[in-house]
Amino acid sequence: MTKNIKRRPPTLVLLLAVFALLVALTPLVYLWVRLGEFGIDKVLAQMLRGRTAELLGNSLLLASSVGVTALLLGSIQAWVSIRSNLKLRVFFGVTAALPLAIPSYVSAYTYTALFPGFSGFWSAWLLLSIGTAPYVYLAVSAALLRSDPATEEVARTLGAKPWRVIREVTWPSIRPAAVAGALIAALYALSDFGAVSILRYDTFTRAIYNAYRSSFDRSAAASLAGVLILVTLLILFVEAKARGGYQSAGGNYRKAVPVGLGRWALGPNLLLSAWVVLALAIPAFSLVRWSIIGSSSADLGEIIRALVNSIGYAVSGGLVTTGFAVAIGILTVRYQSRWSSIFGRLVWLTHAMPGIVVALALVFLSNRLLPGIYQTNLILLIAYLALYLPNALSAVSTPLSQAPKSLDEVAQSLGASRLSVLRKVVLPIAGPGILLATLLVTLTVLKELPATLMLRPTGIETLATRLWSETSVGAFSAAAPYALLLVLVAGIPAWLLNRQIRSTLRQELERE
Amino acid sequence: MNPLNNKKLKTFFASAALATALTVSLGACASESPTPAAEDKSFTLYSGRSEDLIQPLIELFTEETGIQVAVRYAGSAELAAQILEEGSNVQADAFLSQDAGALGALTEAGLFQTLESSIADLVDPAYRAADNTWVGVSGRSRVFSYNPAKVTQVPASVLDLTKPEWKGRIAIAPSNASFQSFVTALRVLEGEEVAAEWLAGMKTNAVLFEKNGQILDAIESGEVDAGLLNHYYWYEKAAEIGSDKMTSKLAWFAAGDAGNLVNVAGVGVLSDNSGARTFAAWLLGNTAQQYFTDKTFEYSLTGLAAPTGLPALGELASPKIDLSALAPLGATLEMIRSAGLTE
Repeated sequence: MTKNIKRRPPTLVLLLAVFALLVALTPLVYLWVRLGEFGIDKVLAQMLRGRTAELLGNSLLLASSVGVTALLLGSIQAWVSIRSNLKLRVFFGVTAALPLAIPSYVSAYTYTALFPGFSGFWSAWLLLSIGTAPYVYLAVSAALLRSDPATEEVARTLGAKPWRVIREVTWPSIRPAAVAGALIAALYALSDFGAVSILRYDTFTRAIYNAYRSSFDRSAAASLAGVLILVTLLILFVEAKARGGYQSAGGNYRKAVPVGLGRWALGPNLLLSAWVVLALAIPAFSLVRWSIIGSSSADLGEIIRALVNSIGYAVSGGLVTTGFAVAIGILTVRYQSRWSSIFGRLVWLTHAMPGIVVALALVFLSNRLLPGIYQTNLILLIAYLALYLPNALSAVSTPLSQAPKSLDEVAQSLGASRLSVLRKVVLPIAGPGILLATLLVTLTVLKELPATLMLRPTGIETLATRLWSETSVGAFSAAAPYALLLVLVAGIPAWLLNRQIRSTLRQELERE
Repeated sequence: MNPLNNKKLKTFFASAALATALTVSLGACASESPTPAAEDKSFTLYSGRSEDLIQPLIELFTEETGIQVAVRYAGSAELAAQILEEGSNVQADAFLSQDAGALGALTEAGLFQTLESSIADLVDPAYRAADNTWVGVSGRSRVFSYNPAKVTQVPASVLDLTKPEWKGRIAIAPSNASFQSFVTALRVLEGEEVAAEWLAGMKTNAVLFEKNGQILDAIESGEVDAGLLNHYYWYEKAAEIGSDKMTSKLAWFAAGDAGNLVNVAGVGVLSDNSGARTFAAWLLGNTAQQYFTDKTFEYSLTGLAAPTGLPALGELASPKIDLSALAPLGATLEMIRSAGLTE
């Protein structure tokens, strides 16, 4: 029996992907309704005010500088820990991913608690760069492990200077991953509210929050959020240009010959030691110090309840979001077409929205369409899907592309259905990568605050919401035990993410 | 050897999926709302005031009345926005707000039920909505706090603080909501031009802080000579370290000055739930009023004695102003920014 090879995605995958995209785009529907109420002239007036331009300038400056810094830092960290012969490369690798465990609002608190004058652009730039460089580090590490080091080694044997090898051979192979990581970093900086408000750097998200706080004007806030959508379009365009097309032919896993840095070792050693101090030691010291001061007032039962809820939401949010991202990933990676690539880009459109806008969009829509799910765990999972689908998608895309496409065709020609090809061939190969994506989203959900605060069932507390209640009273010491616990719990997936990279390295060694 | 072999992966995903299903179904059970009875025995409260302060009060209420309260804590403004977006499916039966502005926004949207006069009349008309859609439950006054060793004569008006003699001596917290309400009051009472000039003068004279508490610490430590803040910060500090150890003193400007603005935290009812009404009335009863006076050193709005050492609410030289009018802060924020006081 022969079967036709179908190039159309399975219906189930398509349905899941469409549902996920619709959820991710709900904030657009909400903005549309609010803006429609406001009238175009008022929207334009709000968008074109001098203050709007100034804040937008501040936001763009922050987003671009954080994006570029994260790109450089994360790439250097990945290269040093995977390709170099630095003595401390394993340590530098582990410490590169760990700041993912620290929510940006917590790192901002830890710094201002130690250094009261710590504020303004450079502070926000420093802490947001530290908080987002791990995204680049993880993506570039994966890309370096996948790319065949032979070309680099040949180039060196032929006498090319190390810097030239990096620029002309290594960089093109890691560029798509590095730029994709930088995109996450830039959009994060654009949407962040917690850190910039604590560090008193006036950005666009602060203007959006102020529109809610000071005038309760949802339409004015929506106009400002609309501007962020336009900016995101611009950033997506720049990113598509910067990403480039070259992708190394994967498949040849092999241990690279470590590159001797010689007298150049001092630079990376200093930079990465500074990283360890700024990204980990200072926040850790501050957190522990304040936890000791504040631990007397913490109620153990309350802490445990919050911990259990946090883990429940984070794991379920991570699984649901990654599950849908896999469906979209299958569409964009394994069934490439013009439509599927547009599909993959659209997901990003709302990623620069501050959490409060996404949360209010879901308050608005769920109350009108499905009032029964409002303030239940279900709406919360939908919110995490809307917020973190892009993070999950970018993490599952690479593993999903690892199984050669010819396998699909061979399996189909042998009579397997498209779904069973996915189940028996593609997903097993991509499995470890999908697990990593799940860990990454789990970690992100653990730190989420505005949507959780607004959409959780009444009375349910998580570590993040407890942290919020305590800091809103103004007592950082009372909040510190929750912050410390949050960081410790989030540290587990952050550490596992790294371990997975390490084990891939080890596997290569064993293969030799 | 792959540390994450297929079997382990499957086990992980399967058990995690199970956990997800459990979480979701538990949530579905928890969200079922009780059917309303003639005498409602439970209701939902959205509270913009902190859990730290309100939860003990809720426990007292439940103990006295048997009515259970499910409380959501968040910022007053965020909760107001949330209630506005809930549209026809408002979940909150009552809304307790940190300031009158958020209450005014819900009154404007027509979301509050009118409170019967037996509740509203407990409070002076100055501290409730004109149409009785919300009532204040506790009051706080803006004050002039100063170091008596450095300031011998309290200025007659907040407007005097722009004079050259105050350069570098006076502290304000321009990003703080209570400072912003005061500036709105200044605009309403004295006009836009005077308010803008005052802010420009403060740009020259004032030392800027993020929070009221920091201003007080700076006066105590001698870093600045005086500052503008809410009265209860002084009393909280005094309770903490002992009032005899306080260097700073409190004073009020001349009668009717915008610098003496009295603002309130208040409550409004959003549904027919009788428990929510009982709660609104209970907040104006002696237990709750005494709690606010003792715990936060705020003013009782039903005539209980003021915290020790404070002039009575009726004797405060506060300006006459409609508190709901302090709601649209947008123009105020713009003015504070253009003066260069916030970034």
